Amino acid sequence: MTAAYSLPQDISPSFITNTASLLRIVALALISAAAIASRLFAVINFESIIHEFDPWFNYRATRVLASNGFYEFWNWFDPTAWYPLGRVVGGTIYPGLMATSGIIYNALHALNLPVDIRNVCVLLAPGFSALTAFSTYLLTKEMKSPSAGLLAAAFIGIVPGYISRSVAGSYDNEAIAIFILMFTFYAWIKALKLGSGFWGAVAALFYGYMVAAWGGYAFITNMIPLHAFVLILMGRYSSRLYVAYSSWYAIGTLASMQVPFVGFQPVRTSEHMAALGIFGLLQLLSFASLIRSHVSSSHFQTILFVSVLALTAVGVGGMGVLTWKGWIAPWTGRFYSLWDTGYAKKYIPIIASVSEHQPTAWPSFFMDLHFLIFLFPAGVILLFRGTPTTTVLPSGQITTETKIRDEHVFVIVYAVMASYFAGVMVRLMLTLTPVVCVCAAVGVSELLDVYLDPSEPEVGGEGKDGEESDAASTGSGGVTATSGAPSATATATGVASPSLGKKSAKKEKAAAAAAAANSSTGIVALDSLVSTLHPPTRTKPGIWGLDTRLTILLNTTALLLFFVLHCTYVTSSAYSSPSVVLASQNPDGSQHIIDDFREAYYWLRMNTGEGDVVMSWWDYGYQIAGMADRPTLVDNNTWNNTHIATVGKAMSSPEEIAYPILRKHDVSYVLIIFGGLIGYSGDDINKFLWMVRIAQGVWPDEIQEPNYFTPQGEYKVDAGASKAMRESLMYKMSYYRFHELFGGGQVMDRVRGQQLPSVGPTLDVLGTFPSFSPPLTLLTFGCVDEAFTSENWIVRIYEVKKEDLLGRDLKSASGFAEGKKRKRSKPVSRRRAVVA
Amino acid sequence: MKLWPPLAVLCSLLAVDLVWAAHSFENTAIVRTVELGGSLVHVTTTYAIKSLEAGSSRYTIALGRDEHQKTSWLEVRLKGQQAALPFERHGTHLDNEVYLYDVTLPKALATNGTANIVVETVQTHATYPWPQEAAQSEDQALKYESDLFVLSPYETSVQRTKLRSSTPSILSFTQPEEVSFATENPATKSGTTVTYGPYYNIPASASSDFIAAHQQHVTVQYNHGFPVLEVTKLKRAAEVSHWGANLNIQDEIILHNAGPRLKGHFSRLQHQTQSYYNRPAPHVLSWATLLLPAGISNVYYYDLIGNVSTSRLRTAPSPPKGLSQAALNNHFSTLEIRPRYPLMGGWNYSFTLGWDAPLGDSAVWDAKTGKYILGVPVMTLIPGAVVDEAEVKIVLPEGASDIEFFAPFPALSNTLSTHISYLDTTGRPAVTFEYKDLTDKHTGTIYITYKVPFLAHLKKPIAVGMAFFALFSLAMGWRRVDTRIHTKQKL
Repeated sequence: MTAAYSLPQDISPSFITNTASLLRIVALALISAAAIASRLFAVINFESIIHEFDPWFNYRATRVLASNGFYEFWNWFDPTAWYPLGRVVGGTIYPGLMATSGIIYNALHALNLPVDIRNVCVLLAPGFSALTAFSTYLLTKEMKSPSAGLLAAAFIGIVPGYISRSVAGSYDNEAIAIFILMFTFYAWIKALKLGSGFWGAVAALFYGYMVAAWGGYAFITNMIPLHAFVLILMGRYSSRLYVAYSSWYAIGTLASMQVPFVGFQPVRTSEHMAALGIFGLLQLLSFASLIRSHVSSSHFQTILFVSVLALTAVGVGGMGVLTWKGWIAPWTGRFYSLWDTGYAKKYIPIIASVSEHQPTAWPSFFMDLHFLIFLFPAGVILLFRGTPTTTVLPSGQITTETKIRDEHVFVIVYAVMASYFAGVMVRLMLTLTPVVCVCAAVGVSELLDVYLDPSEPEVGGEGKDGEESDAASTGSGGVTATSGAPSATATATGVASPSLGKKSAKKEKAAAAAAAANSSTGIVALDSLVSTLHPPTRTKPGIWGLDTRLTILLNTTALLLFFVLHCTYVTSSAYSSPSVVLASQNPDGSQHIIDDFREAYYWLRMNTGEGDVVMSWWDYGYQIAGMADRPTLVDNNTWNNTHIATVGKAMSSPEEIAYPILRKHDVSYVLIIFGGLIGYSGDDINKFLWMVRIAQGVWPDEIQEPNYFTPQGEYKVDAGASKAMRESLMYKMSYYRFHELFGGGQVMDRVRGQQLPSVGPTLDVLGTFPSFSPPLTLLTFGCVDEAFTSENWIVRIYEVKKEDLLGRDLKSASGFAEGKKRKRSKPVSRRRAVVA
Repeated sequence: MKLWPPLAVLCSLLAVDLVWAAHSFENTAIVRTVELGGSLVHVTTTYAIKSLEAGSSRYTIALGRDEHQKTSWLEVRLKGQQAALPFERHGTHLDNEVYLYDVTLPKALATNGTANIVVETVQTHATYPWPQEAAQSEDQALKYESDLFVLSPYETSVQRTKLRSSTPSILSFTQPEEVSFATENPATKSGTTVTYGPYYNIPASASSDFIAAHQQHVTVQYNHGFPVLEVTKLKRAAEVSHWGANLNIQDEIILHNAGPRLKGHFSRLQHQTQSYYNRPAPHVLSWATLLLPAGISNVYYYDLIGNVSTSRLRTAPSPPKGLSQAALNNHFSTLEIRPRYPLMGGWNYSFTLGWDAPLGDSAVWDAKTGKYILGVPVMTLIPGAVVDEAEVKIVLPEGASDIEFFAPFPALSNTLSTHISYLDTTGRPAVTFEYKDLTDKHTGTIYITYKVPFLAHLKKPIAVGMAFFALFSLAMGWRRVDTRIHTKQKL
């Protein structure tokens, strides 16, 4: 028996166990700290601010919860959203996120720590990412070993795919959902392993929490039944599965039905039917196995098997009938778009218009997961092979065998499903990330295990050179092995572990177990693992010499370091922008903050009437409600397609058509985003086609997408823009007085890189553009008035004029006010007809 | 002086009984100078007095009703001297038409003895924009209204009122007609100044008869080059930490531009053009300069929706100890503060401004009494702004006792309350002062003395220590107690 390097011998097993446990705690604490710290770029670079769009609503709801209490929040009807319809907020949201921060907020205040609710919300996601790291550790520990668990925790702690949804300030449901997801899976694995009703109930309670927190709970609803189903198909049905699944399903379904937004969906919609079906199947199976245990006849078994199949067929068929009859709701559009990526674009443009619902681009896999994506398949293959299980036989013997276990099947199924979904939709990258971390951790940990193990292959001779044989002879403790493979290294590896750091923590456990059982029959997991791969021969596999080990280990370390660098870089550059505040650099290198959004929102908040309705495209609804505190027509909760289409129509129609729409909806202000001056590409003109498409979906006769393109099919805002384009309210509001900034020079739209006719739209003289040499100066409005424009012109707010007091139409009224002569050629009556 | 109603009623009741002593003095001359401003108007009235009796030491000044209502600050001095003379409310006379104050002269005058008394007042809300609306490019015109005659319970030989504007453009002023006591043109304008008077041999005027017979109302309309600012509400909170040797001051400010309302709509283009050519409109507040104390750190400036990044700060180090007051006045940090958007006429803006200052700069420990003495300034001046309502809350350390406070001018109300903040167990005592209509003269310091027993200092460490001890004890117990219902069988 030879070893590549020697390990200290005289350390007591209890010392090793204690040190290993301490090291694990320290490592987990450091991983949590790293996970939290790497999410604070946004706070440090900008400020403690809520990001993006949806978080603003969650923040607003949380404020209501914190200030008015839970019951007020539960019954909250928000009259300012979806004006004039309003929104029953309590019944249309997943309250888990708000309740979580509400509890944290109240707990802190009870301890006399008067933390601002905003800071609770901002820091919730980083805090929960530490918990996610911990539950990933637990899950991976169940898969392979604590050292693999630590690696997985470290990966999930800093992997960009998860950070993208959990930086400080990204106060969204996903912030807590991934933690709940991982912990539910852990509890499920635990329940399955132990056949424990207690862990099944824990899984169910966390599942209930998940349902309260995120619409993505359907992923768990289908993952666990799928796992159970695969286990049954593999012939792995056991009473443990029965207990775990039944306790999870029964309690979990009841828990999920407590959320008003979900209500009776768990028994009425197709998404939940798989879980119900598997539940029934399991009952039948257990019944079958009960009978089988009493009547041991293979003939009878076959009959039973057939009857089970028949019942399943009846169940599925019955479900089909129920769906067809409408008792069970059919699949929703969002669900179909998971299978057919073109579906949404055809039928539900509103879903397709969200960038995070687009299919994932290949580079983003590397960007979000870096080298984990390469290790992911390796990890899955290793899981197929399984990990060594040590069993203590009643005789006191310990046997270790390497085989695939139920939990490995779970991760494999999870990996397959999540990979598919991540390919379909960008946002589902989030569900793929944890399983990638788990699998990659299994892979890396396996690699490190093999190459850190000091035992060298034994080819029935001596070691390579004298020095190493010396080391080996001091290392060998005269321990024999049952499986025929020498296991002197078992103790040696274990003993060395503390000095090798956390990565070999797994071996300590093996060593401790070995030492505890019987030092003379101790077996190292790896040894037997390798021996099961290769039929037991006299040759013990292993690695020769230190050079090979060092090469591989250094390479792996370098990969890990590059991973850290990559994560830090991607997090700081791509995922830490609040998008409410934009940053640019001054010529001297200092940071320049572009704060136009908040400037305009705050202006609205301080200087307009409290009930003044603001119309904007739905993207900005939550922000207006949160920051400007004004009623909005549509917001990011896109539940009413017609209402959104109405806004789209108003934006894409000429003034005469838009004005009655605005007045009918009591709109006082229209807010648009215009990036043409500083080159902000996310502006409304770039989103304009979606408004047109969504409006076209409802009014196909009035709005037609092709009208907004040039005859050559180009999307243009310059002199070649189409008539519908330049007469649309959106176009005119965007470019109103824009040319004056250039003082007669060339008017350049910096987003679209197009040069506008130097004389530009006026908002009144519609129809006077003969053909477009139509100068921007001619752009005047009849029905709206510029009310506010932010510093960099990103946000422009227009006030809607009230009807003329003298009963004139607004165009002639404003023409009169400007001292213009009424044009004989354009009789008013004709224009009236257009309005009607 | 705006006093709250009960006192005013009481005073007017008392006034009936007061003996009218109108014959002890004669005004040889009264000159009133009004510095026309925005929300603050500084009025200086110089009385050249001659005693008619020996031993007269109480001189009475009179303010008309409107004048009294506008006046938020009043100070009386002898000409050429720094020290303010004590004065007290004499009471109201004649149906609330005239308000009288008794000034006690430092020494009694002999017969025919003379003195020059300077009365400085600051009037708030004394001007209003006229026209009420102005477009973005237009000038800002204000109107100021005043009484023609300075009232006095004594006979006056000669009297003048000068209204001085900071810009040379006085648009219009009332040309009073049929002015009694005038010998020549009752009103003249030269450059930036409108002069009413001189008027000769005015009888004792602090009476409703005189007011009914002779008093007239005059109005001046002038251009004002700076925005008219009002702080509708100022909430200052000062929190002392002896552990951190820190005094945190936080102001919550609601700012209103009380100048002419913006006519039409705001045009960014025009605003950018104006600032490009450096010709900002006079009624737009783009930025303001605030003088904060020296030695401050961690200055923050945010509003309801987050940090405002558009401001510049230049901090000065803490002044050395033992500097004279005059030298201290030159030590300050400068904050150039910009609202999120330029504040046009009629617009509002609210924000929060706060900073940390070393405690040593504003507190000392008096070994003789064993008390801390802490000074907190009533407010930080926003130039040219009047503070309509102010609330100053001083939060003392937990366990502070024997609290005494000395305000530089009387507050509307003081309340003692308990404020609970980080790591508190029993809460911190807090003193709240409420004020109205503060002007640039109200920049005094509130002094508070209090004791903190040694044990009170240790409250927080003990509380935190106990909490952690309990936590660890629980964890220890948890580790050692087997919570399983039945012990695990070996498989």
